[in-house]
Amino acid sequence: MRSGLLRQRLLGLFALGLLLFNFPLMAVWDRDVLLFGLPLFPSALFFAWALLIAALAWLLERAPD
Amino acid sequence: MGSRKLAFIGREAGGRHLPELPFGRTAAARRGLTMLSPALVLGASLAYLLLLFVVAWWADARSQQGRSVIGNAWVYALSMAVYCTAWTYFGSVGRAASGGVWFLPIYLGPTLAMVLAWTVLRKMIRIAHTYRITSIADFMASRYGKSPLLAGLVTLITVVGIVPYIALQLKAVSSGYALLTTPLGAPSTGRGSWWLDGTLYVALALAGFTMIFGTRHLDSTERHEGMVAAIAFESVVKLVAFVAVGVFVTWGLFGGPGDLFARAMAVPELKALLSPAQQGTRFAYAQWFALTMLSMLSVIFLPRQFQVMVIENVDEQHLKRAAWVFPAYLLAINVFVLPIALGGLLYFGAGAANADTFVLSLPLAAGHNGLALVAFVGGLSAATGMIIVEAIAVSTMVCNDLVMPMLLRLRRFSQRGDVTGLLLAIRRAAIVGVLLLGYLYFHLAGEAYALVSIGLISFAAVAQFAPAMLGGMYWKGGARAGALAGLLAGFALWVYTLMLPSIAKSGWWQTDFVARGPFGIELLRPEQLLGLTSLDYLTHSLFWSLLANVGLYVMVSLLRTPKARETSQALLFVDVFDRTQASRPVFWRGRAKVGDLLALTGRFLGEARAAKLFDDYARARGAPDASRIEPDARLVQFVETELAGAIGSASARVMVASVVEEDKLDMDDVLRILDEASQLRAYSKALENATAELRAANQRLESLDRLKDDFMSSVTHELRTPLTSIRALAELMVDDPDMPAGQRQQFLGIVVGETERLTRLVNQVLDMAKIESGHAEWHNSEVDLVALLKQAGETVHELLRERGAELVMQLPARVPMLRADPDRLMQVLMNLLSNAAKFVPAQGGRVELRLYAGAEGATVEVQDNGDGVPAAQHALIFEKFRQGGDAWNRPQGTGLGLPICRQIVEHFGGRMELRPDTGQGACFVFTLPWNSRPEPAPPGASMAADGDRA
Repeated sequence: MRSGLLRQRLLGLFALGLLLFNFPLMAVWDRDVLLFGLPLFPSALFFAWALLIAALAWLLERAPD
Repeated sequence: MGSRKLAFIGREAGGRHLPELPFGRTAAARRGLTMLSPALVLGASLAYLLLLFVVAWWADARSQQGRSVIGNAWVYALSMAVYCTAWTYFGSVGRAASGGVWFLPIYLGPTLAMVLAWTVLRKMIRIAHTYRITSIADFMASRYGKSPLLAGLVTLITVVGIVPYIALQLKAVSSGYALLTTPLGAPSTGRGSWWLDGTLYVALALAGFTMIFGTRHLDSTERHEGMVAAIAFESVVKLVAFVAVGVFVTWGLFGGPGDLFARAMAVPELKALLSPAQQGTRFAYAQWFALTMLSMLSVIFLPRQFQVMVIENVDEQHLKRAAWVFPAYLLAINVFVLPIALGGLLYFGAGAANADTFVLSLPLAAGHNGLALVAFVGGLSAATGMIIVEAIAVSTMVCNDLVMPMLLRLRRFSQRGDVTGLLLAIRRAAIVGVLLLGYLYFHLAGEAYALVSIGLISFAAVAQFAPAMLGGMYWKGGARAGALAGLLAGFALWVYTLMLPSIAKSGWWQTDFVARGPFGIELLRPEQLLGLTSLDYLTHSLFWSLLANVGLYVMVSLLRTPKARETSQALLFVDVFDRTQASRPVFWRGRAKVGDLLALTGRFLGEARAAKLFDDYARARGAPDASRIEPDARLVQFVETELAGAIGSASARVMVASVVEEDKLDMDDVLRILDEASQLRAYSKALENATAELRAANQRLESLDRLKDDFMSSVTHELRTPLTSIRALAELMVDDPDMPAGQRQQFLGIVVGETERLTRLVNQVLDMAKIESGHAEWHNSEVDLVALLKQAGETVHELLRERGAELVMQLPARVPMLRADPDRLMQVLMNLLSNAAKFVPAQGGRVELRLYAGAEGATVEVQDNGDGVPAAQHALIFEKFRQGGDAWNRPQGTGLGLPICRQIVEHFGGRMELRPDTGQGACFVFTLPWNSRPEPAPPGASMAADGDRA
């Protein structure tokens, strides 16, 4: 039961990643703006990427053996 | 440092119109000395390779001592990073310099794949380890009925698809070397004779390394500890080197990321890289998506990834950490790609230098030769890691799936004895062959293409494995014919739409078929098939090849009736998590001899290994020695699995079939065997349940037994105390016939008292036993509680008066009649009242007897004004032989009174307890329901109820 829940959470995370890294959400960041001196478009991609990894780590590390 | 920075930035601002200047000359003009001596670079490379040897050697030695260094999730994750090749190391920067964020999908895809790793990859690992699968070709062949044809096809696609990729690594090393050692500004001398070409020697050195750590011995699991440790080490080296260059460019050449990006944003072309929407051109989201998908599939189906992630996996649990550490590694190695690319473009001017080599040329141009050398070693480690693992994976496939099937057809081969040496020789030859092919390709076509396009072509080739692989893991209906048709169609379209155009574009095939189509047929133009013009060439090729691949795989699988062996293998693969080793069905019928199977195993694994395997098997099955093993289906399956690890499942099938006499299975047999296995599983589950129940019952029995023992020892102890005093007094009287009559009388009084106590005790023990076993006699009748209580009060009145205590009764006028045994109830009341009488204080003692009639039943309270019962003993006083008070100050009594009272009350469906909250004295309460148990329960039921209480 609990392992089934983990699988569903991972699937959800996968869907989230797919959405974040593709059109049209990606187009939202495609702007001529600097954020803390960094261009927004690549920064947003890296940020979303880091977020995804953090969520994945959180899910997997607390899963029981 | 500061002044130089300012100088070139000043040039940038004013002189951006000079990009046509060759990069060498501008840089040479800036710095005097900008080259490294070939001896230094070669020496460093050699030293690095030696270090790699040492690491691998050390890991191998440790593993032989049983102290493996690769048995943890971090090393596993680092070994996965073999994904980052020279293509990442040099090519990402090149791609970023021309397309901005377009280097990213190649790493976002693997991150997404890793999100699903715990589900998908774990299943792949479980399947591969269970059935001793050693390569991706073997995986497919085994799943689709152990088909040699499929294995051969997959191997062929792999070799064709991977050779350019290996060539790419060699090219990266070679051009990096050239960049470092050619004096900047001097004209390139061109390539010398082939025997002077360092790249060839790099290839040969790597072949040597791979042979040593990849094919030292034949192992049926195909694990290579030393190699994995070396790869993990290389991953650290390339990350550190790349980040070092990134830090240098960002903070050394520029004033930090803010400064770097601000300068880049000031240049319109660079600004367009960073925010594509501003460029006016549409961002190609379809291609972005295609690249993400492509790399998502590649990270699993590239032979080297399959090797390190599936074959070399030590423990499935490692996947949990590796699944996020590996993407984190990818993120870390990509953080500085954009800064290096933009830094290079700003430093040299757009188009002035080859952006693929910025990692080397930037430190070199700035005069940091040491850092340039470190960067080169990082690139070398990226390239060598990929080559080593790829060569091992491909050589296993070539040996098991191309050469072995052909050898097995030869008559001479079947007469040979031990062939382990031959197998190793074939693998070594395959390693050299693959690397030389890569070198050849590099020589012929290496100059033509940017790094990134070559890599993507390989990615697209291995993506063709995805439908049959994933389908095979999750869809039982996937059939061999479907997999073959899909693979062939996908591969053919890949060749036509990607491979041939790339050859044509490389220039050594003069043709216009890319532009005009074969024979001038426009609809068949390879990059605009059927007039599909809106996709770029890669997305276009991927779309058509995967469409044909998936379409044919599904369609043909649905049209064909599957064969028995395909079905049985499909069941074993798809349901791999559902079955344990013991309940897994064995799809084999026939007759075999242990000797034949042993001899066969010895031929491919060596005599000693085979003998040990059989001995272990015999021990596991409970047979005294190998010769006494029962030659059943399970043994045949065991041998076939072990052989599969060495020569591939398809060849193992052929070899086993050659030494046993087997019945052909049809579909009904498969279903019957499956049915039997399921029944067996059901039986074993039922057996497990029964065992668990038995164990629980046994535990209960044991605890009851312990209780009985405690009870016995308490009883004997209680009996001994009065007996001892009786005996002592009797002996005194025997020894001293002249004892004064008064004293004798006193002693006899004590003896009588003690005897009475003994009698009471024995009676109570018998009583208790009767009640507990349900054999007690109950004479139930209608009881008037008020009358009963009054009678009890009168009986104890005298006793209380002796103790100087008074009895206060609070009784209602009448309560409903109760059905119970009046004698037993009287026994309870007398017990409680005499108990109370024992504990009242000597002066002003007071015992209260109260009766309440509630809706549910009658409640009787007996309260004294003694010291009460300490809280710690509340739970104990109803247990047998646990009296209130400590061991030195025990009141008179047997310790059985209260337990018996409680048993009696509970027999009538009531409850008895000690009220906890009275301010002073103890207050015992029992309630009896109006409609108590209709009649005495049968003995059995009563016993069960007692058991539950125990």
